[in-house]
Amino acid sequence: MTTKTRRKIITHEEKCVGCRICQLWCSYQFTRKFTLSKAYIRVDNPYGLEPKISFLEDCTKCGKCADYCLYGALEKIEERT
Amino acid sequence: MEWNGYTGNILNIDLTGDKISITKENLDDLKQFIGGFGMNCKLGAELIKPKIDPISPDNFIIIGAGPLVGTITPGASRTAGISKFPATGAIANSCGSMSFGFHLKNAGYDHIIVSGKAEKPIYIQIIDDHVELIDAKGIWGKDIVETTDLLWKKYGSSGVIAIGQAGENMVKGALTLIDKTSTFGRGGLAAIMGAKNLKALIAQGTKGISIAYPKEFNQAYKKLFERIRKYPHRQSWHEVGMLRSLPIGLMLTAQGQKKKSRQVSDRIYLKKLKKRRIACPSCPMADKDILEIKEGEHCGLIQYTSSAINPFLMFTLKGLNTYDEVVKLYDLTNRYGLDSLTITALFELITRLHEQGIITNEKLGLEWKSDYKTLAMVTEMIANRKGLGEVLAGGWKEIGKRYDIEDKMLEVKGLDVIFDPRFMRLGTMEFEQVVNVKGAHVASGGSPTYATSGGSMKRFETHFRRMGIPEPAITRIFKPLREEMMVNVPRLTRYSEDWYALLTSMGLCARAQMNRFYSMENVTNFYNAITGFDRSQEDLRIAAERSWNLLKILNAREGFSRKHDKFPKEWFKNLKYGNNELQLHDFFGTTLITPTIANQLLDDYYNERGWNLKDGLPSQEKVKELGLTPYI
Repeated sequence: MTTKTRRKIITHEEKCVGCRICQLWCSYQFTRKFTLSKAYIRVDNPYGLEPKISFLEDCTKCGKCADYCLYGALEKIEERT
Repeated sequence: MEWNGYTGNILNIDLTGDKISITKENLDDLKQFIGGFGMNCKLGAELIKPKIDPISPDNFIIIGAGPLVGTITPGASRTAGISKFPATGAIANSCGSMSFGFHLKNAGYDHIIVSGKAEKPIYIQIIDDHVELIDAKGIWGKDIVETTDLLWKKYGSSGVIAIGQAGENMVKGALTLIDKTSTFGRGGLAAIMGAKNLKALIAQGTKGISIAYPKEFNQAYKKLFERIRKYPHRQSWHEVGMLRSLPIGLMLTAQGQKKKSRQVSDRIYLKKLKKRRIACPSCPMADKDILEIKEGEHCGLIQYTSSAINPFLMFTLKGLNTYDEVVKLYDLTNRYGLDSLTITALFELITRLHEQGIITNEKLGLEWKSDYKTLAMVTEMIANRKGLGEVLAGGWKEIGKRYDIEDKMLEVKGLDVIFDPRFMRLGTMEFEQVVNVKGAHVASGGSPTYATSGGSMKRFETHFRRMGIPEPAITRIFKPLREEMMVNVPRLTRYSEDWYALLTSMGLCARAQMNRFYSMENVTNFYNAITGFDRSQEDLRIAAERSWNLLKILNAREGFSRKHDKFPKEWFKNLKYGNNELQLHDFFGTTLITPTIANQLLDDYYNERGWNLKDGLPSQEKVKELGLTPYI
């Protein structure tokens, strides 16, 4: 029986401040441009009372977004299966 | 050619002719002037004709976002604007944060030039290549919060600059808010928009910003990011934000308002007001606030502010007794698009002169009381130019003449003093209020002489080097007028302004908590890596100095000179502060500043700038040295 590791990004939306550093890094990582619309992570309603964080299907779970979140809104965890 | 950092595009919007066009930026210009602030100055010099009426179709609004805006460079989200301001008659710069500049760059534009006047109220929609003037009938007459919320509902996440009723009614000091949070245009930018029938601008972009040298950029970014991550005070910035930066409780205690000082404590803020912290795009400090009143008469009020300090500063007004009244009054000023600092200064002055019998109820046309009810009513009257509000909406110059109180007002060039040096002592921010072309404003005077900074001379020197101050100038800065003053604040002010001009040109945040991470060296590295240009630190320092001088030249054309750089007469009188009588002293409190010494301080400032001592304007040599002769 083999053990595999699967990475998950857990969101804590209540800690999100709408800086969108995660979204900017994501787009830069994959397109070499800073473009919110090309990111696989989305922060909707960034300045609302309740921002929403979501991931597009193509997200590779590379975890860069969590690495650069200074506010604790994104958490990278490795799950063994 | 391929543009990096810059988009290379200027969006021209002629409201009179309903014409929209794009012009390309010139690389030679960008060697002389850097992005946001720098290019704004150049465009302003070419477009704004001397002596025009600020509230007329002849005036221009020039908005710019620097080459670093739109990237992930920490704190690179500033929007800069230049126009001829109605409160002062000066051509001045204003800055705001939040997401407008970010979205503008992403839509593909470095600058917007708005001219003329629309036939009926409109707003400008900028979505990539889809730029349109749209009928504002659904939002004209609404306050800034309502306007922004309606536009966000329609467009989703976007950058919005909006005016309230005060702007629509051309109140001289009316300002705009970006994303209903960040003040933009102290001194009347909203009145200029109102006069143009321009309710708002909304920007949204998907084009993105590319980087010329990704490897160098990554290196510079990661190094800076790790420094920020390890910054020991970062957590407390996240926790209490701007309350870290100004001791309002101390101010209130010193004023003898001790009971109130307890209500501006971190504890009250965290327990009773803080709803959520928000950040400009790319910002690691998140120092903007969403406040919520959680109890009492105003329970449920949600208030966005660029700093919790702003409402708390209104607490210095006598008769406002609880924090929720203060937040509510501040919310009113914000919604109307009035300047809370000006409103506070105005109400303080009227209350003081009313107590002294100099301004009477008969003169005011109402029974003046410094309490929430009266102040809220008068705020509404100003925004709508009703009754007494018609006079107060006319700005300090008109108020001074009307009530014959010009000598008693704390203003310079028509803009009210923010930091009184009799309490704060004369650091660069306090001195800046005298020499700034904009009038009494403090943004461009940041330095280690800020209220809560300070420290040893060694620490000062470290900051001076960080700001790129040349060695011979550092020597001069440590030679003040009198030895015991220790630091020559006027000479230092020149370099604070140039450093501010550089940050603002780049689009970087100038607030102390971000500013401290930047140096001439890393700004140059970011600039070159992002744009692909090859500029030296000295090139950038001179470009910043050039922009500041050009702005001064524009105001010389308007008739401003040394005689307008006046220390308010009140500063030479004692200030009653609680049980204390405060006097105007230098930064270290060793020397009483008399009018004669004040004049000598101005001499030092002009000398350090290479300006004429006689008229306080750039000398011929300085103009030539900076290549500004065509603008004279």
